[in-house]
Amino acid sequence: MKKELSKYLQEVKPSLKVLLNELLKEYTYVSILASDSKGKTYNVSRSGTTISVNSMTNERGFVVRVYDGTGYSEYSFNEINESLIPKIVETIKNDLVPLRGKLTNIVTETKYEKLEEEEIKFSKSSEYEVDPSELGDKEIVEVLTEISEKARLVDERIIDCRVHFEYLHLSKIFLSEKKDLEQSILWSNGMEMPMARKDAEVKYTYKTFSVQGGAELLDQMKHGVEDAVKVTLELLDSTPITPGEYDVICDPDVTGLIAHEAFGHGVEMDMFVKDRALASKYIDKEVASSLVTMHDGASAAAQTGSFYFDDEGSLAKDTIIIDKGILKQGICDSQAAMYLGTKPTGNGRRQNYERKAYTRMTNTFFETGTNTVEEMISSIDYGFFLENSMNGMEDPKNWGIQCMVNIAREIKGGRFTGKVFSPVVLTGYVPDLLKSISMVSTDMELSGTGFCGKGYKEWVKVSTGGPAIKARVKLG
Amino acid sequence: MANNILNKIVQILNDLDIKTYQINETREESVELFFIKKALDSRRSKDVTKYMVNVFRDFMDGDTKMRGSSSANIYNTMTEEEMTEAIKDAYFAASFVKNPFYELPSGKKEEKVFHQSSLAKETLESAATRMTKALFKEDNGKESFLNSAELFVVKVDKHIINSEGIDVSYDKYKVTGEFVVQCLAPEDVETYQDFSYDELDMESLEKKVKDTLDMTTARANATSSAKAGDYKVILSGKYVRDFLSYYASKSSANMIYPKYSDYAVGQMVQGDHIEGEALNINLVASEPYNDEGITFVNRPLLEDGVLKNLHGSLRFSRYLSIEPVGYYEDIEVKEGTVSFEEMKKGQYLHIVNFSDFQVDDLTGYFGGEIRLAFYCDGNTMIPVTGGSISGNISEASGMLTLSKELQKEKGYEGPYALSIQKVTIAQ
Repeated sequence: MKKELSKYLQEVKPSLKVLLNELLKEYTYVSILASDSKGKTYNVSRSGTTISVNSMTNERGFVVRVYDGTGYSEYSFNEINESLIPKIVETIKNDLVPLRGKLTNIVTETKYEKLEEEEIKFSKSSEYEVDPSELGDKEIVEVLTEISEKARLVDERIIDCRVHFEYLHLSKIFLSEKKDLEQSILWSNGMEMPMARKDAEVKYTYKTFSVQGGAELLDQMKHGVEDAVKVTLELLDSTPITPGEYDVICDPDVTGLIAHEAFGHGVEMDMFVKDRALASKYIDKEVASSLVTMHDGASAAAQTGSFYFDDEGSLAKDTIIIDKGILKQGICDSQAAMYLGTKPTGNGRRQNYERKAYTRMTNTFFETGTNTVEEMISSIDYGFFLENSMNGMEDPKNWGIQCMVNIAREIKGGRFTGKVFSPVVLTGYVPDLLKSISMVSTDMELSGTGFCGKGYKEWVKVSTGGPAIKARVKLG
Repeated sequence: MANNILNKIVQILNDLDIKTYQINETREESVELFFIKKALDSRRSKDVTKYMVNVFRDFMDGDTKMRGSSSANIYNTMTEEEMTEAIKDAYFAASFVKNPFYELPSGKKEEKVFHQSSLAKETLESAATRMTKALFKEDNGKESFLNSAELFVVKVDKHIINSEGIDVSYDKYKVTGEFVVQCLAPEDVETYQDFSYDELDMESLEKKVKDTLDMTTARANATSSAKAGDYKVILSGKYVRDFLSYYASKSSANMIYPKYSDYAVGQMVQGDHIEGEALNINLVASEPYNDEGITFVNRPLLEDGVLKNLHGSLRFSRYLSIEPVGYYEDIEVKEGTVSFEEMKKGQYLHIVNFSDFQVDDLTGYFGGEIRLAFYCDGNTMIPVTGGSISGNISEASGMLTLSKELQKEKGYEGPYALSIQKVTIAQ
């Protein structure tokens, strides 16, 4: 089934076209992004239940972008009708655009060309099986409660199991002189997070679930919690790792974190504009093992980072960033593309209509290889199997990597010893890590539960993943 | 217009016979400037008004009285029919939220609290211009320079009402942003900094930029890294806030009620044997009211390492039978007993910049990769880069030393530096 575009956006579209035409009388390029996204967040834990709206993702409003012959200005607002249009035009013309004149004694202004676009019109929607809003709050809460209670009954050391489910139906319209685009997308994600206590120490793990679709995801969630509980209990006996360089196998979750943090952020081309990314100097050069091919793109997979057009009206693409170890190209928003004299790749994204668009990732992953995970484990003399990524931080400038991983399972002589270390910090130099990849598994997974920040803000929904990889890394 | 929407929401709640509710109206206006080097790259402004309606539904679950709740976003572009539908849907959802009963706070209509600050006396455009001047004042094109920056001047108007009589409102001005400093030689490196001021604090921003320019020059000259091992580690700047905020987080009802934290009032939270300094921390009111309309005032959190007060959201506070005072994020910490210079006696590793410093409030684990540190072997000090730090706050708690020198950071006022004994550094 397909989710229909927001009724409100359909109704307000004629007014937006009037605003667009009024602004086109003043400016040579004008675009309007209109968003109406609605969803719910459900949380069940020992401390209670919540059903709420995520104020970061739920939105209804507009952002206008105008080109004044030198640069671009944007105005975000959330009230419109035909009588308010003159006021909106006046605000842009009299307050926003002249702002640069007040700064001329302090800074100069970057000069941009007019954004050139091709004529295109479409309306697209994503598929789903079960509409969460039709399934209803009662059914969803019951499923989550059952999962949480099941986990808490396994062992008395389990103090809680937080279970989370969230869905968002996002509707967007993009209008400019040449573009008239509509998209309607539904995504859902979930998380199970058992927590265990031993004396004063609390340990936890989580298992994530995501889909471009609806509440059909709940069926997957029903069968995942036992494994997560088992791993959490194992962590109670974990110890800190002896710092050093080790052979490791990363599960798809940790592979995804590496793809995202190690290289994804490093090829966001608004960083090229600022001379903040080392990757700009390595195009067509070897940066990884020949086993590594890496993609990013809203059309590269059907996951939570997927869409048909980005927040600047650029169409979704599948960009091959690394092809068999060679860095081919980065990902780009439209303004950075103009600055660099290249084409946008459909990666101009906003946290919501209230925020600026930056170059952002979408679905980022490594391609599969030819090894089984069993072959990979048996190839390790001494090392670790890394699971359950916690967080990571990008360093596009120096290609440093810092990823926190919750679980490192010891491998000796090609077999698990049963010993678990936690938490571990994976650090190193990105090309060293990527060039050390010696085995890649045949199957892959993408996970889209998290939000990605640009630095410490600007959160957008992404998915990451790939196959299991064998590499040599520093753990601490 | 705004009051019309608020009145309309209240009318709909009455029509639907929803007796218990809370409405938050927020208007946010901003001027936003984005710079690449010393050039304006783009500019934005914003004028957005939103409404969040929380509805509460009482029912019995066996013999237990329950209070479910749920929320709905209301926009000024909604028709009355749409608003009614959204609120009805939230009220229906509340019937499946089986939480034990708790009372909402009560109150009365209060005069609006206006932000008394130098920022409030300026227009957003004028404040943005003056802070831009401060941002670039120290950027004189020497070894290190501003690579890029973002500046946001924001005015927020909040109005909170609930069914128990609370009717409070206030405004708040802020200048926030971030900048990146780059140094090209001998190594091409950069440092990220963020800032947040409630005042038109040009002097602080100028100083922050200058310090970051100096720090980045030092990092460019750091060629070696500290050897793996255990060190006396000194943290300074915003990392002191990140470390000490752990105690506020662990003291919240949100952590204690579900047993994620075992803190209790009267407990020595730094352990029974404090070899270092006992902490004195106050919770600081950053705004006149919290989102539930509860008046925020400064409160003592730790006195000589002993937990004096808990804080937290209304529901969990009611469940723990403590006064609902709201959830605090800002803290004020009493100065330490040693000067920063004394702290740096002997062998130490002073970390001034991480790629990212993480503290896990659940487990107490802290760690991060070192971008710039100063290593002193007792005689000579050298800048170092690389390697990572890891430890656990619950283990380090009894061995902290705080500096006499104070600093103001986002959400923090207190010692400029703290030192921790025997912290593991890995390569």
